[in-house]
Amino acid sequence: MLQAIHLSKSFGDVQAVIDLSLAVRPGQVVGLLGPNGAGKTTTLRMLAGILTPTSGRVLVGAVELARRPLEGKRRIGFLSGDTQLYQRLSPREMLQYFGRLYEVDPPRLARRIDELVAELDMTEFASRPCGTLSSGQKQRANIARAFLHQPDVLILDEPMAALDVVTGRFIAESIRRERAQGRAILFSTHVMGEAEYLCDRVTLLHRGRVVDAGTVEELLARSGCRNLTDAFLAHVGAAG
Amino acid sequence: MRGAIIRTIFRKELLETLRDRRTLLMMIGLPVVLYPMMIIAVSWFQQSQAEKREERSSVVAVWGDIAQPLLEALKRSGKLTLRRWDTADAGLQAQLRDPASRPAPTIMAADGGRSRGSATEVENPVLAAARIAVTRRGVDAVLVLWPDLAQALEAEGLGSVSVYYDSIQPDSQLARERLLDALARFRAALVSAREREHELAPGFATAMNILSRNVASERRRGAEILGMLLPFILIVMSLLGGLYPAIDLTAGEKERGTMQTLMCAPVSAEEIILGKFLTVWTIALITALANIVSLAATLTRIVPGVNLSLPLSSYVLTFAMLVPVTFITSALFLAVAAFARDFKDGQNFLMPVYMVLAMPAVLTMLPGVQIGAVTAFVPIVNVALLIKAVLVSEAPADFVFLTLLSSAAYAGLAILLAARVFQQEQVLLGGRQSITYLLGLDRRPGRRPGPTLAIVSFAVILVAVFYGSVLLQRSGTVVTVLVTEYGFFLLPTLLFVAWFGFGWRDTLSLRMPPVRALVGSALVGLSAWTLAAGVLIRLLPPPDSLTRALEKLLLLDRTSVPLGVVWLVVAVTPAICEELYFRGFALTGLRRLGPAGAIVISALLFGLAHASIYRLLPTAVLGLLFGVAVWRTGAIACSILAHALNNGLIVTMIWAPQYFEWLGVGKGTFLPWTTTALGCAVAALGVMLILSVPQVRKGVGSN
Repeated sequence: MLQAIHLSKSFGDVQAVIDLSLAVRPGQVVGLLGPNGAGKTTTLRMLAGILTPTSGRVLVGAVELARRPLEGKRRIGFLSGDTQLYQRLSPREMLQYFGRLYEVDPPRLARRIDELVAELDMTEFASRPCGTLSSGQKQRANIARAFLHQPDVLILDEPMAALDVVTGRFIAESIRRERAQGRAILFSTHVMGEAEYLCDRVTLLHRGRVVDAGTVEELLARSGCRNLTDAFLAHVGAAG
Repeated sequence: MRGAIIRTIFRKELLETLRDRRTLLMMIGLPVVLYPMMIIAVSWFQQSQAEKREERSSVVAVWGDIAQPLLEALKRSGKLTLRRWDTADAGLQAQLRDPASRPAPTIMAADGGRSRGSATEVENPVLAAARIAVTRRGVDAVLVLWPDLAQALEAEGLGSVSVYYDSIQPDSQLARERLLDALARFRAALVSAREREHELAPGFATAMNILSRNVASERRRGAEILGMLLPFILIVMSLLGGLYPAIDLTAGEKERGTMQTLMCAPVSAEEIILGKFLTVWTIALITALANIVSLAATLTRIVPGVNLSLPLSSYVLTFAMLVPVTFITSALFLAVAAFARDFKDGQNFLMPVYMVLAMPAVLTMLPGVQIGAVTAFVPIVNVALLIKAVLVSEAPADFVFLTLLSSAAYAGLAILLAARVFQQEQVLLGGRQSITYLLGLDRRPGRRPGPTLAIVSFAVILVAVFYGSVLLQRSGTVVTVLVTEYGFFLLPTLLFVAWFGFGWRDTLSLRMPPVRALVGSALVGLSAWTLAAGVLIRLLPPPDSLTRALEKLLLLDRTSVPLGVVWLVVAVTPAICEELYFRGFALTGLRRLGPAGAIVISALLFGLAHASIYRLLPTAVLGLLFGVAVWRTGAIACSILAHALNNGLIVTMIWAPQYFEWLGVGKGTFLPWTTTALGCAVAALGVMLILSVPQVRKGVGSN
């Protein structure tokens, strides 16, 4: 269970996120939708414990992230579209490194890495330096890193950005598989089709504020539109 | 902080760094190739130049009429090509042939001409013509035979010759040496012929042979040469080793987008910075080691004819000296590089820092620049000068201590700065943060200082006290003590509190203590000296010179001022000024480290501020006792009272020793055990009285 309670974040005079609240239950995929600059990345970084909120709280299960950051972070897997890998390490070495940082038992870690390498079809490139991998291969290695410690919560920041259709679909299927295993998944995108395909609930974000939230059907019903893109544009127009 | 996590980060960073060819090249490849190449090239070039020069005959213009015997003597040297009147115009020739117009070769040198060869004549036509001949006309030197010479040789009188040369040209230098040799031989022959002629004993005219011999052993001469070159080269190269990894591990990581991945893992900023710092430091140390090994191997094997090899211990000590330098620079590089958004930005940021840090080490290349009380406090330069001293086996223990002390202080500051930078999420994610905020120097009205400011303020005060004492060294003791205490301890303390808007009462512990605590503090103040005089100085006995200097200081140069004034100057003043800083500002600033951490560190700072390894332990122990009193009571009055009584009692003992004979004071080097035991018991009673008062709630320890 991931909960954001009245979160706000300012950078100097700029208010990036204003009074944002949302909740993701286990086995649920929640989409955070918004145009570029809406505050999606800042929100996800606060939820992942990378940024400290100016005000508000983040709860990961019963753990308050600001008070017990290490414990909270241990329950979160974070992945972003622009996250890169260590160029001079192989995916296997990188997974071992993060496994140790997450304090996974060595025998369990070795098993888990083998499992992920097979599951994500990484056998061919798992021992090559990450600097030599294609962007699709890199994103698979990244997914493996985020899923490695089997976190309760997955936070995915535009995970399918700049990927080809095949890899995009592969990642979407991985997300669905994780949902089936009972993980709480929050993911951001500005591609409405992805949200319609994956999300149980959607939160629309514009200029740092939540402008609407609910299931896709609820959002469509409230806006009277036929698809999420039109619904979103209607909200953006209303919000000015 | 978890050691296993720091180790994991360190191992990964090291593995990744060592897989980078550029780092490997800089770390090991460059030194391995650089020194042999450099020394082979230099020695080959020098040797071939020297051989060529040695083979070549020196071209000497001879101006003036030359007598046959002298001509033959010059020719006998075999390496002088004489050109009569070469480049001298008709006017000059006429002038040099006219006995009446002989210019007097007036010497301008400040030492009245004692320094042979370096004397400079007052400008005159002959000098000007010789300068043109040597610098522009293909002549190595000009020999001027003044008109009186031929006549003097004939009449057994005194004649003069001048040799004009250019000290900047090696060929001209060699021509001068050859000429002087030939002339000296000619003069020696002339003198002995005259002695024979007049039936004088051989040596009658010469009277004595002056022999000058170099006492420096060949090894020491080699060490001197190395002492000038080695510190600079080693420091420049070791710093270079840490430069690239520092950028790669911070700005490089940001550029590659992996910093964010690391920050979402369950690791603290301190663990990340320590892991990265250890990596940069290790790389810098490996670079330093590679440089030393390569240099040692090169010097032992390659340089022909010159013994530049040093004992193994010199290399080991040199490496040990590079440990604090690489520590400081690694931490500083990391802190600065963390501000950069990408690799290029990192290079732009770090190159000026590198230049500022490394370039002052060039000072060691100047002959005569040695480690001293002032230079021991200049970061990097102090270690460079100490390496120089180690190489010629002249490293004084006190300067080693001061250098290590100041280096440790700078290293502490550097790592604190780096840790502080790494705690700023905005900086790590590529944003900017104000430098005053990063340094913890932003104003926080009504609050209290933190550990960073406590350490920064100590560094500021330490530097002010040392440079101030250099300025005050010609003033009397009273002025020095008063200016140091009020100007360098009290004033900065008050300025810090005022500038940052801290609460006066809370920061400086300005409270009324319970009477019981005051009595306890008085007992501590009256008895703590026995602990120092009876126990601590047995562990590290101070040299007599220090004891005498201290006595002189405590008695205000033995001037005839009344004891009351002495008490005011050396007991009450330091008690107020030093306590308000150490047990006031610093202890409050360090409170977050817990009672033990805050009291011990503030006591250590107090000991270090006394700038002598022999006074470190006694003053630190006093600091511990004073710290306990203020922590418990939240009242600075307790430590001021104890400090004043301690100093005052010591002054009185020196002032009127006869009243203290019953305690065994002054009877031996150390205080008798009975007095020591009695004193320690009184001190313990004092501490117990202090601890018997309830812990003050709003004191130093509250957050």
